[in-house]
Amino acid sequence: MERSEGYQIKLEVFQGPLDLLLFLIKKKKIDIHDIPIASITKEYLKYLDNKKNINLERESEFLLMAALLIHIKSRILLPRESPDEEEQDPRKILVDRLLDYKNIKAACKILREKEEKQIKKWKRKNLPKSVPFQEIEFMELSLFDVAEVFFKLMKRQEKSHIKFITGKDFSVKEKKQEIINYLKDNHYLDFFEYFSKQETVEESMVSFFCLLELISERMVTAVQESLFQTIKVWLRSESNT
Amino acid sequence: MKKNLKNIIEALIFMSIDPLTLDKIKDILKEFSDKEIEHAVEELIDSYSEDKRAISIIKASGGYLFATKKEYDEYMKRLLKDEKKQKLTREALETLSTIAYHQPTTLAEISAIRGVDATHCLKTLLEKKLIKIVGRKKSPGKPLIYRTTKNFLIYFGLNSLEELPSKEEIEKILEEKYGDN
Repeated sequence: MERSEGYQIKLEVFQGPLDLLLFLIKKKKIDIHDIPIASITKEYLKYLDNKKNINLERESEFLLMAALLIHIKSRILLPRESPDEEEQDPRKILVDRLLDYKNIKAACKILREKEEKQIKKWKRKNLPKSVPFQEIEFMELSLFDVAEVFFKLMKRQEKSHIKFITGKDFSVKEKKQEIINYLKDNHYLDFFEYFSKQETVEESMVSFFCLLELISERMVTAVQESLFQTIKVWLRSESNT
Repeated sequence: MKKNLKNIIEALIFMSIDPLTLDKIKDILKEFSDKEIEHAVEELIDSYSEDKRAISIIKASGGYLFATKKEYDEYMKRLLKDEKKQKLTREALETLSTIAYHQPTTLAEISAIRGVDATHCLKTLLEKKLIKIVGRKKSPGKPLIYRTTKNFLIYFGLNSLEELPSKEEIEKILEEKYGDN
């Protein structure tokens, strides 16, 4: 953890290698269409040298750019294979990217002003939803979606650091019946809420499998209001006996 | 009768969750002429822009909607416990504008333009409903395709994507910022 700290501070200043390059170009008052690759590479590497360790996961992009700079320089130095071949300036690929990124940055400045203006004007659309139950638009879920929510839940469980010692076993059959009974009593089941009541990883797993089975047996139907939200489960009406 | 029309439109805008477009108003109020409606809308907006009103009618995403005036920001924050009113981070804003200008686009394209991996930013933007997934590209790996949403337009007070900062506006900023280039 400690070794990446120095660099993270830098990352907050520069949004990435392109951002750093633009900064250097501005600082050295260089014409963006005629970049002296050797000197800018030197400057760029000097920045990278400032940190003792490079966290490959986070900062590989900076290294990639260093490699690109050196690659461009070597292409400039090497003689062309056939002299009459009209070759493009090897720097063009970099210049195009820099200009593109510069435009995005400028657009961001304008958008930021608009954001600051709009953010103070409250719209009813931003209100937390309190739509009557029946009017919510639901989307039908695939097993994959259900699984995704499950993994999210497991992560949440992990965070709570609660440890239990238990010798209880859970059978799929019992658990299935438990879910069905719950549904009969409560009309519907809130996925997040239900799982937060499960005591152990094992129990959560078993109830999750049960739910998947119930869905595939078409005993219940599961819907999610929108992405990243809880999943609600109902008994299918034909099995409501 | 005329005053009545103004009130009808006011009620329509009030009840709309999405910004209400002029076309939709015309469609609902067939008994009035287009001209009458346009005139009434203008009058309505004017009457709201007076100082004594706390609410104004603004145009965003091509339609009309009510918004509180900026002077009351502080109180709205208190009422709604400041929900969702964080400004976008610099990373998120850069990613968002990259998508806005290059849409439809994929994670790889966005990351290439910014020179930085955008996975995390996309998640944030999806959660804020500023972008959406519209499908998969028919290319190796079938990457997801992203677009900005209607919510994006409302968020920045734009009526359409054509109102994104233009080339000229961008150039003006660049001149100010990088005058020596």
